[in-house]
Amino acid sequence: MRRIATAERPDWRAKAAACGFGFHTIDDAPYWDESAYYAFTLREIEDGIEAPTEELHAMALDMVERIVGSEQHMQQLAIPEPYRDWIAQSWRERQPHLYGRMDFAYGGNGPAKLYELNYDTPTSLFEAAFFQWQWLEDQLARGQLPAGSDQFNSIYESLVEAFGTIARGIARPFHFAAVRDSAEDQGTVAYLRDCALQAGIDCGTLAIEDIGVSADGRFTDLDDQVIGCLFKLYPLEDMFRESFGACLPRSGLQLIEPPWKALLSNKGILPLLWEAHRDHPNLLPAEFDGGGELPRGWVRKPLHSREGANITMHLDDGRELRTDGPYRDGPCIRQACHPLPGFDGHYPLIGSWVVGDRACGIGIREDDSLVTRDSARFVPHAIVEEARGVLIA
Amino acid sequence: MKRSRTAALLLMSTAPLLLTACDRSESASREGLYTSVEACVAQTNDSATCRQAFAKAQQDATASAPRFANREACEASYGKEQCAERSDGANHSFFGPLMTGFFLSQMMSRNGVAANGFNSAPAFRDSNGGWQRPAAGAGGVYRGGTGTAMVPVNATPNRAVTVSRSGFGSSGSSRGIGG
Repeated sequence: MRRIATAERPDWRAKAAACGFGFHTIDDAPYWDESAYYAFTLREIEDGIEAPTEELHAMALDMVERIVGSEQHMQQLAIPEPYRDWIAQSWRERQPHLYGRMDFAYGGNGPAKLYELNYDTPTSLFEAAFFQWQWLEDQLARGQLPAGSDQFNSIYESLVEAFGTIARGIARPFHFAAVRDSAEDQGTVAYLRDCALQAGIDCGTLAIEDIGVSADGRFTDLDDQVIGCLFKLYPLEDMFRESFGACLPRSGLQLIEPPWKALLSNKGILPLLWEAHRDHPNLLPAEFDGGGELPRGWVRKPLHSREGANITMHLDDGRELRTDGPYRDGPCIRQACHPLPGFDGHYPLIGSWVVGDRACGIGIREDDSLVTRDSARFVPHAIVEEARGVLIA
Repeated sequence: MKRSRTAALLLMSTAPLLLTACDRSESASREGLYTSVEACVAQTNDSATCRQAFAKAQQDATASAPRFANREACEASYGKEQCAERSDGANHSFFGPLMTGFFLSQMMSRNGVAANGFNSAPAFRDSNGGWQRPAAGAGGVYRGGTGTAMVPVNATPNRAVTVSRSGFGSSGSSRGIGG
């Protein structure tokens, strides 16, 4: 795995505009960054990332089965009591799921280490599935990449296939919802909806804030139609806390991601996985945090933190890194500190996409610090075979 | 090749794109949930299709019904007297709910005539009175599992007067939810 500086496509901003990728620059800071790319060997991709992703995904689904049968585990994950039966029922019915993203620390040497599962509201999807793919095709055509370069990225094909597979299990009308004023979230649901339409599924969009509720506790769209299925790019745990949350279990509303994803997007899954698969090469030691001082070599993460918020990292050398954020009060876990690999002062975090149950691609977020924040840039990747060193006489 | 062969956009792109997906705008489908062949005929006026759909659903019911290790577990989900012992043909017996209805879906042409062929599936009624049917088959991008997932069917009227909005979203921000 190498980080390679490269020339940008001169017209990439125009291309971004043409496909509706409006959030390539956020608050005047670059988000899409193609001044460099990460080069992997096929072996690094297949053995280092793809296979572990599929294995960890299967382990995580098996863990859901154990959690729904255990009040103690539900308690450890801080699942509010009124939602527990509903979540368990959604798992027993195997309500369809669509996608998730695992975050790995991986530098090409040694096994990838799982930081967390983003299994409820993963973003950076469009840039991974579409814009990164277009970058590779363009750079191949321009001769900026070695001929035959490839990319671990069948995310688009997998999404369309997944929508086609679950189409009959999706209640109608089917709406995609995200926070109204977030360009990034709106871009993500616009892309997902595009894929659903390509799979032949009729579907609409709705702002999360516009969802209504009827007197008998069903959820409605702006035309007073009862929503059959809602894809919500909005955290389940936030919905639980908000005023309409109490209506969810009896509303008949189908959710994607389904309620059982609340058990996997929760960092409490990490100590449970470690307990069940101690010393697995892709897992880091983890335990529920009982409070008290954080020893060296450990990281404290809230159960529900997103975008690297409210993380405390106590490095082996005694330095302590803290990030701010809104998740101050909830329960936490501890995870063994395994810093991201550094590439010339850049720290890439590998997001490994799972669509349906298939590991189908990666997207890399790069930050200048060891904690990947919402300021991290998206940097594309390519699969480039190492030069074989054949001497031509 | 580890990447998608194409990466088409339908609505997001400003440039028109050729798509291989089939255009379904000129046809519609008719779908119904029926508790008997008679109810189906009354609705569709197509007794041959109704009889075939019922027979196929009944045939599929054993394979696609949810499976329980014992009668009590099954009856807890589907109600008293609503479960029967079944066998998967390999001498493994289990309990599953009785089929209480069936789905029939047909593609309709523009002039409102049902096209040849149909899809049918067994339907089950849970102890809360809600209808369910088997989820789409596993395979491909989804791994197979034991038994079949059931999905709820919204058989209630689909319009309702909204009495309140904005009960979701207070935790959101313009920076998005991230993740």
